[in-house]
Amino acid sequence: MKQSRKVFALLLALCMVFALAACGQTAAQAPSAAPADSSGTQSSGTESAAPAEPKFLKMAVNFAYPSLDAHKDYYGWYTQIYGVTETLFRIDADMSVQPLLAKGSSVSEDGLTWTFELADACFSNGNPVTADMVARNFRRLVEVNGRYEDWAAFTFEAKDEKTLAITTPDVFPTMLVALTDPEFAVMDLDATTDFDNAPIATGPFVIKSFKPEGDVEVVRNDNYWNGKAKLDGATLFYMPDADSKLLAMQSGEIDCYTSVDAAAKAIYETDPSSYVLTVIPGTRMQFYVINKTRLSDSVCAAINLTVDCEAIAEYLKGTTSAAVGPFIASAPYGQVTKPAPDPAAAKALLEADGYTLNADGYYAKGGKVLELSICHYKSRQLPDLAVLMQEQLKNIGVKATLVVQEDPDAGYVATGDYDIALYCMIADTGGDPYYCIDALYRESGKWAKAGFPTDEIEALINKLQFETDIDQRAALANQIVQESIDMNAFGYVGLFNKVSVARPGVSGFSENIPFDFYGLTADTDIG
Amino acid sequence: MAGYIGRRLLHLVGIMIAVSFLTFLLMYLAPGDAAAKKLNAQGVAVSEEIIEKTRESMGLNRPFLVQYGDWALHALQGDLGNSYKDDFPVAGKLARGLRYTAILAVTSLALAFAVALPLAILTALHKDSLLDDITRLFSFAGNSLPNFLISVLLMYFLCVKAHLLPLTASESVKGLVMPCLALSIPICGRFIRQFRAEILEQLGRPYVSGSMLRGVKQRYILGNVLHNSSISILTIVGLSIGTLLGGSVVIETIFRWPGLGKLAMDAITNRDYPVIQGFVLFTSTVYVVINLLIDICYSWVDPRLRKPGGRS
Amino acid sequence: MRKRIKTRTYLRRRLAVFLVLAGILVVISLIAPMLCPNDPNATSAAAMNQAPSAQYPFGTDRYGRCVCSRVLMGARTSIFSAVALVGLTFLAGTVLGLLAGWYGGLIDTLVMRLADVMLAFPQMVLAIAVAGILGGGMGNAMLAMGITGWTLYARLARAQTLALKEEPYVHAARLSGCSGWTIMAKTLLPNILGPMLVTAATQIGVMMIGIAGLSFLGIGVAEPQAEWGSMINGSRAYLQLAPWAVIAPAVATIITVMIFNYLGDCVRDALDVEVVR
Repeated sequence: MKQSRKVFALLLALCMVFALAACGQTAAQAPSAAPADSSGTQSSGTESAAPAEPKFLKMAVNFAYPSLDAHKDYYGWYTQIYGVTETLFRIDADMSVQPLLAKGSSVSEDGLTWTFELADACFSNGNPVTADMVARNFRRLVEVNGRYEDWAAFTFEAKDEKTLAITTPDVFPTMLVALTDPEFAVMDLDATTDFDNAPIATGPFVIKSFKPEGDVEVVRNDNYWNGKAKLDGATLFYMPDADSKLLAMQSGEIDCYTSVDAAAKAIYETDPSSYVLTVIPGTRMQFYVINKTRLSDSVCAAINLTVDCEAIAEYLKGTTSAAVGPFIASAPYGQVTKPAPDPAAAKALLEADGYTLNADGYYAKGGKVLELSICHYKSRQLPDLAVLMQEQLKNIGVKATLVVQEDPDAGYVATGDYDIALYCMIADTGGDPYYCIDALYRESGKWAKAGFPTDEIEALINKLQFETDIDQRAALANQIVQESIDMNAFGYVGLFNKVSVARPGVSGFSENIPFDFYGLTADTDIG
Repeated sequence: MAGYIGRRLLHLVGIMIAVSFLTFLLMYLAPGDAAAKKLNAQGVAVSEEIIEKTRESMGLNRPFLVQYGDWALHALQGDLGNSYKDDFPVAGKLARGLRYTAILAVTSLALAFAVALPLAILTALHKDSLLDDITRLFSFAGNSLPNFLISVLLMYFLCVKAHLLPLTASESVKGLVMPCLALSIPICGRFIRQFRAEILEQLGRPYVSGSMLRGVKQRYILGNVLHNSSISILTIVGLSIGTLLGGSVVIETIFRWPGLGKLAMDAITNRDYPVIQGFVLFTSTVYVVINLLIDICYSWVDPRLRKPGGRS
Repeated sequence: MRKRIKTRTYLRRRLAVFLVLAGILVVISLIAPMLCPNDPNATSAAAMNQAPSAQYPFGTDRYGRCVCSRVLMGARTSIFSAVALVGLTFLAGTVLGLLAGWYGGLIDTLVMRLADVMLAFPQMVLAIAVAGILGGGMGNAMLAMGITGWTLYARLARAQTLALKEEPYVHAARLSGCSGWTIMAKTLLPNILGPMLVTAATQIGVMMIGIAGLSFLGIGVAEPQAEWGSMINGSRAYLQLAPWAVIAPAVATIITVMIFNYLGDCVRDALDVEVVR
């Protein structure tokens, strides 16, 4: 009897080990409903094939948020990618601002009042988009999104059914560019009952199914005001891992995605008949800041003469383009120059400053080896940059150590404890240089600890902020950026390319627009 | 027994308080600003004033103990706060993640256990045979390859080359197969080694040779051996379940499995304190509860441990 | 009787073989700089992802660095850190577990509750916190792993001690007046060492992977220092283009782990024979 009790106890013990299965069991039924659902959509493609071949696109995306409320957080980026929300203006492939929900705009003589004429648009439920609704949307955005707190000083006002006026306390030359932010989406605030899961908006698609932080299915908006979407619908798979995306593309489970990494790009290039790659210059910029408070002018100059951006771009295999300044070289505000890499000149500068090569082959002065710290974080290929820059510096005899931090903004950027700081940011938010210049060179900015900003630069930036003439803005921007290069305070290494891959025939998923926050449009097609 | 369990339950509460306090402290000391993280999520720079205002509204400027106390009081009422990242209730996020992680953990563990136990018995009985050598190789390889590599290899061969399984089938039964395989291969490798060692240990005991000399049927001897190894086997399995319920970050990310590991990793990179806190509180609860269950099993299986001085 | 003697010689020979193999690994890692065919850190745009050749025996990685040289140099970091980590946690954990199991009471409560707190602590949270407060680097990565690592041995040692405590021979030792320390060192330790050593041997692989995982989070080794786990991690995206950059460090890891596992087995078997005797 005792024996059987022990056996029972052992069994029970095993059961306890699996006790947590209990919480899993109820859940096990839930996901089993999911495949039925998804296979339903897939097969509906073949079942109803009789009238016309329905077109469903399968695309991988890099982020997924728990909500579809376009005004909050960064959710608007994704509702726009899904083709669900739209803004008054959009940025085109050539970086120009194009009207979308707005037909046109004008600004008052004093530059303080902007007037917008709205297009004859309607929401997916058929309700018209009125100026009053747009104004209320913008007020809601300012209220619920901390990033737009500055806008609380602006007034949004409906002049009539289709005319909207925005009044600003100061001149705000970049109004149109600002309004292209996906957060300025217009939703039907009255008819929407569940902003998180079912916002009613104006885009060519409407949500069919939405899993928070998961996959999303959209179908054509039959009430779309601006034509008819070519696709019947699309599934957007949340795939953050680069290998998963590559393999899903190879197994034929997805049709396209953007932000292809260097390794996957090299693999797609081996089979151009199956994969169409699109490479365009993007807006994310990789750069380094030289700490002028810790390094002598000759060392700063030597660093800039040593780092070879073209060579680095070559290593990164087409995922970035070598940069001169922070902006695309073709832009009017991207007209800056920098000297070609010249290791010999760099060595000469160091030697003139009293540095000599020691027994290990490193420059030293007064017995102290010149050792530079390169701070970076593990994202946006910065580790690659760090390794390559270290190697380039080593080749001229400068010792560099790599410091990697998990959170640069709380770490080296905040403390200023670096010789060279690597960083990546969006430099161009849509056809204007102010945003980037404001972020990089202000005396109150986060890079001020590196010792570059001066009162003259600050004055130039203030001038740029309120300058309304486009040509003047470009000239000012070029002057400021050129100064940052000439002073050897900044080094602009690369501009990320936007690399997209698609099956032949798939087009129009915003692969030609440099920004990350565009995706499906009415023109998206699978051929 | 009841008193023993009661005392252990008290310990349990103590441990959870200690763990949650430690986490709060460590996260507080670690660099990183939740407000800046929240606003900079997509790489758009925001002015210092806006960050400061956000910090204020998120309550990050309050003293450490106030933040902890506030959190703990709400946690006692079942309210783990809202995520900094998206303002969604942490408890709901955890429950959702737990569901998926539990499915994955239980299936992987069951699979690993089901494969490992018979193999361990066989290899222990036929030590140094060909089977033993092959099993050993498998378990070493499974145990020493990083799981992201195993995952990529599985995906490449099963999905791309053989087209056996879809890569995009997350959250479904089909989607469970691959993460389950990827997760159970290393566990299975470890289990085989540990179970085998344990069974061999028992086989070397005098009672085995004694029984054999007396002509007791092998079946019965094996039964005794297994019974006597069960304590250690239980410990090994129990300890793995804790790890597994913490979720596997890499595998959950690669296979798009919306479990706890992924949730926690996102929370850590976003400095999402409420989610990290909730996660730690949850995993620590699982750990201590499982340990408690194992200890109770010990004393049940082996009543000697219940004697005064023999119990823990 | 004759069989047992034969077994003992066989076991001793096997133990010797694996001791020598492990020794070779350690020696290789010590003299690695002399064995490297190329500079392990030199990048070359002209030679990215090249297949194995006479100049690069294991090919090159994504920066055009020699994979063979990096595997050799990585041996030092990977083997030394994993062995040191396992050794230290094993020692600490076994001693604490023995004490807890044998004496019970307050010591037991203290040790086991501390272990519970540490075990209950998600490793990742701990690692990030350690890296955040103390900074990155190999030492801190090992610290983050070690803080929770000892608990495994402590729990196992305690469980084993509890199981053995009531064995007749332990009672006998106690009745014959042996002190607690003597019993622990002479009677309990040899008996619990077997399974513990096997666990420790398997943990070498786990630790090697764990350290690699931390490198992935930016806590372990800093580039360009070679370390097997981070080499695998860095090259995995190129698996289809340059499989050698992944295979070489992976095979090195498996071989190393295997040798240490076999070594653990041999030690256990040898101990077993001694105990039976």
